[in-house]
Formats: sequence, C-alpha cells, structure tokens
Amino acid sequence: MRKPIVFAAILFAAIAFPFVAPGAEYAIDVVFLILLYGTMSAGWNIVGGFAGQVSFGHAAFLGIGAYTTGILAQHSVPLPVAFLVSGSLAAIFSLLIGIPCFRLTGPYFSIATIGIGEATRLIALNWNGLTGGASGITLSVTLPIVTQYFLALGLCAVVVLATIWIQRSRFGFALAAVRADPDAAETLGVNTTIAKTQALFVSAFILGCAGSIYALHYLFISPDSVFGFSTAIALVIMPIIGGLGTVTGPLIGAVIYTAIREQLEANFQNLDLLAFGLLLMAIVLYEPKGVLGAYQRFANRKKRVASTPAAAPR
Amino acid sequence: MSYGLALIYGVLKVINLANAGFLMLGAYVTWWMWSTWHVEPLLAPLVIVPLFFGVGFLIEKFLVRRVLGQEPIVSLLLLFGLWLVLQNLAYTLFTGDTRSIETPFIDSSVHLGPIQIAWPRIYVFVAGVLALVALQTLLTRTQLGRAIRAVAQDRDAAKITGIDVDRVMGIAFGLGIALTGFAGSLLSLLFSFNPDFGRTLLLKSFCIIVLGGLDSFVGVAFGALALALAEAFGVRYMAASLQNLISFVVLVVVLVAFPKGIAGMIRSLRRA
Amino acid sequence: MSDVILSGRGLTKRFGGLVAVREVDIDVPRGEIFGLIGPNGAGKSTLFRLVAGIMAPSAGTVMFDGHPLTKKSPAAICVDGVVATHQIVRPFRTMSVLDNVTIGAFFGRRPQPKGREHARAIATEVLERCGIADRAQKPARELNLAGQKRLEIARALATDPKVILLDEVLAGLNPTETDRTLDLIRSIRAGGTTIVMVEHNLRAVRGLCSHLMVLVEGRKVAEGLPDAVLADPTVIAAYLGTSVHA
Ligand SMILES: Nc1ncnc2c1ncn2[C@@H]1O[C@H](COP(=O)(O)OP(=O)(O)OP(=O)(O)O)[C@@H](O)[C@H]1O
Ligand SMILES: [Mg+2]
Repeated sequence: MRKPIVFAAILFAAIAFPFVAPGAEYAIDVVFLILLYGTMSAGWNIVGGFAGQVSFGHAAFLGIGAYTTGILAQHSVPLPVAFLVSGSLAAIFSLLIGIPCFRLTGPYFSIATIGIGEATRLIALNWNGLTGGASGITLSVTLPIVTQYFLALGLCAVVVLATIWIQRSRFGFALAAVRADPDAAETLGVNTTIAKTQALFVSAFILGCAGSIYALHYLFISPDSVFGFSTAIALVIMPIIGGLGTVTGPLIGAVIYTAIREQLEANFQNLDLLAFGLLLMAIVLYEPKGVLGAYQRFANRKKRVASTPAAAPR
Repeated sequence: MSYGLALIYGVLKVINLANAGFLMLGAYVTWWMWSTWHVEPLLAPLVIVPLFFGVGFLIEKFLVRRVLGQEPIVSLLLLFGLWLVLQNLAYTLFTGDTRSIETPFIDSSVHLGPIQIAWPRIYVFVAGVLALVALQTLLTRTQLGRAIRAVAQDRDAAKITGIDVDRVMGIAFGLGIALTGFAGSLLSLLFSFNPDFGRTLLLKSFCIIVLGGLDSFVGVAFGALALALAEAFGVRYMAASLQNLISFVVLVVVLVAFPKGIAGMIRSLRRA
Repeated sequence: MSDVILSGRGLTKRFGGLVAVREVDIDVPRGEIFGLIGPNGAGKSTLFRLVAGIMAPSAGTVMFDGHPLTKKSPAAICVDGVVATHQIVRPFRTMSVLDNVTIGAFFGRRPQPKGREHARAIATEVLERCGIADRAQKPARELNLAGQKRLEIARALATDPKVILLDEVLAGLNPTETDRTLDLIRSIRAGGTTIVMVEHNLRAVRGLCSHLMVLVEGRKVAEGLPDAVLADPTVIAAYLGTSVHA
C-alpha cells in the first residue's frame, strides 16, 4: 500500500516544519490554523459525513471545550488536565443532546441542531457568573506558538487515524448503513440510535479538544466567537467542500476554506459566506463528493487512458 | 401571531432551510419598497406573493429537482447553501443594520376594555388566519389542491394517475416560498429585523410542528398555541433575552416525553 | 411433533379507521416453510411486519422461542435471530453489493465478527450461495430487479437468522429467475432456517410450503396443508372474487 507511506511523509514534513522555518511565525501560524480547522472539520465529518447526520450545532461542542479551558485556566488548573476535561465535558454534553435529537431523522435532526447551537450560545451569554456573559473570558496563560502547533498537529493526527480506523471497522459499516437507509439498517441488526450516539460522542470529544486549543491560541473567547452561527457554518462547509465521509476530504476542505476566508474576509465583509454558499450549492449539484471526488474522477480518467494505450478509436 | 403563519409551514411541510432566507427577504422587500418608493407596507404582499411564487417555482425547477432522487441530506445542504447566499446577499445589499418599518397605522392601537392592542397585530392575525383558510380551501376543494396532496402522499402513484408531477411540485414549492415571503412581509410590520431574521423563527415553527405532530393540521394549531403560552409564561420568570431559549427547551421536553407529538399522544390516549 | 418457533396471538393492526389485520393467531413450525397468501391488500405484508417486529401491533403479542418480541426494537429482534426482507427492495443503493451484505454479516445474530476481513469472507460466501457473487463490486443500485431481490435475501441471510421472512421475493421475476430463487429458498431451509413467505404465486407456494395460511381482508380464513387449503371453497371464492390468478 502506498497510502501509509504518504501519510508518514506528510506527518514527518509537518513535524519538521517549525524547525526548518524558524522565525517564520506567520507561516507557522497559518499551518497551525489549517491543522486546527482540519481537526474540527474531520471531527464534524464523523457525524455529518460517515453517519449522514448533518449537524448545525457543532459550535456548541467547540464552545464548551473553549470555555472549559478558559475557566479552568483562570483557576490555574494545569493545562493538560484542562485540555482533557474540555474534550470530556463536550462528549458528555453530546449524550444529553443525542437522546432527544436522535429521535428526529434527516432534515428535522438538522434543524433541531440549529436550536442546540442557539440555546448554548444564549446560555453562555446569560450565565454571567460562569462565563462572563457578553464580555467573554480572557486567558492569561501564554503557550508558545510552536507548542500550540504540536498540540494541533497531534490532535489532527489522532483524528485522521481514528477516521481511518472507523472507515474500516464494524462501527464504520454501521454508520454507513445509518446514512444510506436507517430503517433497512435496523432490520439488519444495526442499533442505529447507539451508532449515532457513539459517533456524536467521538465527534464532540474531538471538537471539545479543538475548542481547548482554540482558547489557548486566541486567549479570548466570547459567546459569539466560539458559539456563533458562523462557526457552526464553517464546520459544515469545510468537509463538504473537501468530500463528505472521506478521510482526507475534510482536511482539504479546511485548506480551501482557510485560504478563501483569508482572502475575502480582509477585503469584503460577508462576501466570504456568500461565496461559500455558492460553492456549497455548486458542489451539491455537480460534485457531491467534493473536491476529492472531482480529483478521483480526474485521476481515474487519466489512469484509464494510460492503461489502455491500444484502445483504438472505433 | 407569527405562529398562525408557522402553521403554513407545517401543512405544506416545506421546512426547508432556505425558508428562513425567504422570510427575511419578504421583510426586506417590504421595507425597501416602503423606504424608496413609499409603497404602503400593507400592500407589499401584492407584489411579494406573485414574485416569490415565481422565484420558488424556478428554484424547484432548476435546483431542487436535480437532487430529488438522492439522499435527503443532499437537498437539505443545497437549500442551506441557498440560505447562505440569500442571507449574505442581504448583508451586502442592505448591510447588517437592524431595520424597522414605521407608518401611522403601525404605531396605532385600539383599546379593548382594559387592554391595549396594536392595530398591526390585529391585522397580522387576521391576514394570517385568512391565508390559512385560503390555503386549506385550496388544498381540499380544488383540483390543484387534490393533486398536491396526492403528490405529497405518493409521487409514483400520482404519476400513474396522470398528474403532471413535475408541475405540481414546482407549484407547491412556489406556493411555499410565496407564503413564506408573505409571512416575512407581515412580520416586518411587527418586528425590526436584520439579515439574520428568520433563523429563530425557523426554529420556532419547527418547534410548533414537532409539538403538534408532523402531519396534523389541528395539531399544528395546537402546538402554536402551546408554544405561545409557554413563552408568555416563561418571560415572567426569566430574562427577556432568554425568551428564544424557551422554544428550544419546550422542544426537548416534548421530544423526550412524547416522541409522537402531543397530537400523537392524544390519539393514543383516545385509542386506549 | 413439530414445535413452534414463532407465534402470534390476537394480532390486530389498525391504520386510523382501517383494520388491516384483525385478531390473527399464527404459529410457525420450526424448520419448515410457512406460506402466507391472500388477495392484494389482504394485510399480508402488515401481518408479516408485525411478526417480524418491524411494526408494533395495535393489540396482541408475538413470541419467538418462548420470549416476547413485541416491545423490542427491530435491531434487537434481528440479533435474536428473526430477520425480514422488504417487499419493495431497499438496498443501500450507493454501496457495493458486497458491502451491503457485509453489513448483514457484521451485525445480526451470529457471534459478531471482529475484523472487516472476517465479515467480508462471510459476505462473499453468502453472495456465492445466492448467485450474485459475480456482481459483488457493483453499486447495489446498478443491479436489475431480480438482482436486488436476491440482494435482499443475501443481506438477511448474512445475519445468520433462525427465522427468515420473505415478502414477495418472486414477484416480477421471469420463470428462470423464479426457479433459481425457489432453489435458493429450498437450500435455506435445508440449512435449518425456518422460512415465512408471503407470496402471490400459488404454484410456487404449493410446491414449496409445508403450511399455508390464507388472509382475506385482515382475517384468517383458512390454514393447514397446502393442498387442503387451496381446495377449500372459501379460499377459492376469495380468489375468484379478485383478479388474482392461481
Ligand atoms: N403504513 C400504512 N398506513 C396506512 N395504511 C396501510 C399501511 N400499510 C398498509 N396499509 C393498508 O393496509 C391494508 C393491507 O395492506 P398490506 O400491505 O398488508 O396488504 P398485502 O396483503 O401485503 O397486499 P399486497 O399483496 O398488495 O402486497 C391495505 O389496505 C393498505 O392500504
Ligand atoms: Mg404486501
């Protein structure tokens, strides 16, 4: 197999990157952001892509992770502990959400998750004693960017490995069946509720950890930044651009998303979301498998041409 | 009163995400015609309903139909993309500032005994009920309405009986969008709005539909009432900023306690 | 003496005002092929769904091997060993035929395989038995109707059921395809699995089933050995009253 080698090479390059580019703070910062967004995107993809349950409420998990780290850091809890607690709390919260929401299917589930996003944002906004309300939380810890970088890289690598495992495992088959036809899956012995809840649990844990890194990077969090609807939208858009339900798609999507946003956001407000809306529609209409699907089709055509040199025109 | 309009969503089952966008656009078109041409806001629906119907018909024809046979999440995502486009188009055209419409009528009110009710609220309520009755009549009494219901029940069977399914679906979608724009126009008389208008209303109407059970007309009306009551009571005991939270709390409670909706529960009680 | 593996008592199903199944008792003998026939709309598929636990009855109970099934989820029932096919085929359309069957192998009753390779091996074996191994890599939506009906059976078989319920798996097949499917059904029985089948093709039913039940307008009107049942005047009347030909 070629794939593990490619994976190892990319991982090696990513590890070496901060050492070959010392002082290039900006470049490290950009790659860090891509890794962080890639992690979030791949985390969302477990529920939205593999299990086909499109969630517009994943910002809630990110926000819970970020706030947990923010609050714990204020009380001088060691950061590694805060990091793990962040992920765990988000995961526990996912169970509370999963029980009511997975009674709904398809579009109804998706709309309910908009409600979750909105509800958590409102709670964060109004629970002044804990969250500081609208003025948010400022962290007073500083973590060198290189440390942040390796934290994001480590989490991202773990998520990619987890997705690869899921894709090949019994669990992955259950999710695929849920996505394709939940009723038929049930009659074949797949407990669809458990499968979906497990997927959401893993996904929420990842987003909680990512939220922790987010807080440590920006050092300021507010309800509108982490719980905001635009964050939720970003989480949906990235995996779709790249390729739903694939391993590398969400990462590719994160690269494209970050690039477009950096270009547009600086110059034209809201034009980035307009562009993403159009891109999303175009992808759904013409290439539902995202950039990765388009690439694969392209590669297959080339391969076919290359492997049949003798195929004379009729 | 907005709940009266949410009924419409329930009956037509056009809970598509782009609806939030069209609701917002309905409000903006009303506002825009009022502020640039001084068109009376009450008359705006005369333009909005046919215009939005046409737009909806075309969207169905050129966008939605192409993904109809695929997994449901595909059309969901398509309409979500459309919503993003509409919303951010509005941001670019109208900026993110909060807008509101003010005319003498809108600021007028009437005293009914001890309580004071704003005229626009009465107007919106009446218009909402009329729209509802019109829709109900259309669906049950006319040839077209019967065709729409047939297609909603079983697309293939409808095709066999000679119904032009494609046309009916286009009309139904257009009707849904037109009603949504109408609702947006009415709501612009009551509330101030910005391009993000519609999201919380989408949630509320969804909540109503879940409350009422997904397929019953009476249930939806009932759900609207229940939610309105819950909000009115809730506001007494908690901060006004948490009002939007109420519908979500109600939603969760209902989903956990009565997965079939309240109407479903009543039905099963009656049977027992 | 044949013992009963699956039984229903007083099964009733109402859809609004319509009573699709009315107070039906059913006893499926272990290791045999049990046929369920009746005119269109008689409530066969509905009874079938009640017995398979896909749908909850309005009244009545279903027992499988002495345990009640009535309150269990379809998934749990499949894990117990009762599996049903769908009258209108429902393959996982975008997945390959092999993956479709692999899902059956991964879940269902058998001691559940750990690795993908193990599940794949089981699935491949089932596909060969069902005669669609040559199309294993195709997406399921590309199979023709006969292929998709076979895939329904294959998926169900891969769960290693004790009872398999087949809803009109012969409908729409040409004579050759019908004969091949009949052979498959016989081989399933030979493997020790009990079969319940809903069928319109009376000739096939007569040749295959050891027990027959006739449903008309939601009621059981006859039950017993196929030859006796098919000679019953009430059954003949019920069939002559409709446009179904034997
Ligand atoms: N989910 C449902 N909701 C409402 N009515 C239903 C439902 N399923 C079946 N019915 C009705 O119940 C009756 C029995 O249907 P059923 O599918 O069990 O018949 P059947 O004997 O399998 O017919 P066929 O030979 O056509 O498959 C029919 O009148 C049908 O319209
Ligand atoms: Mg049937």
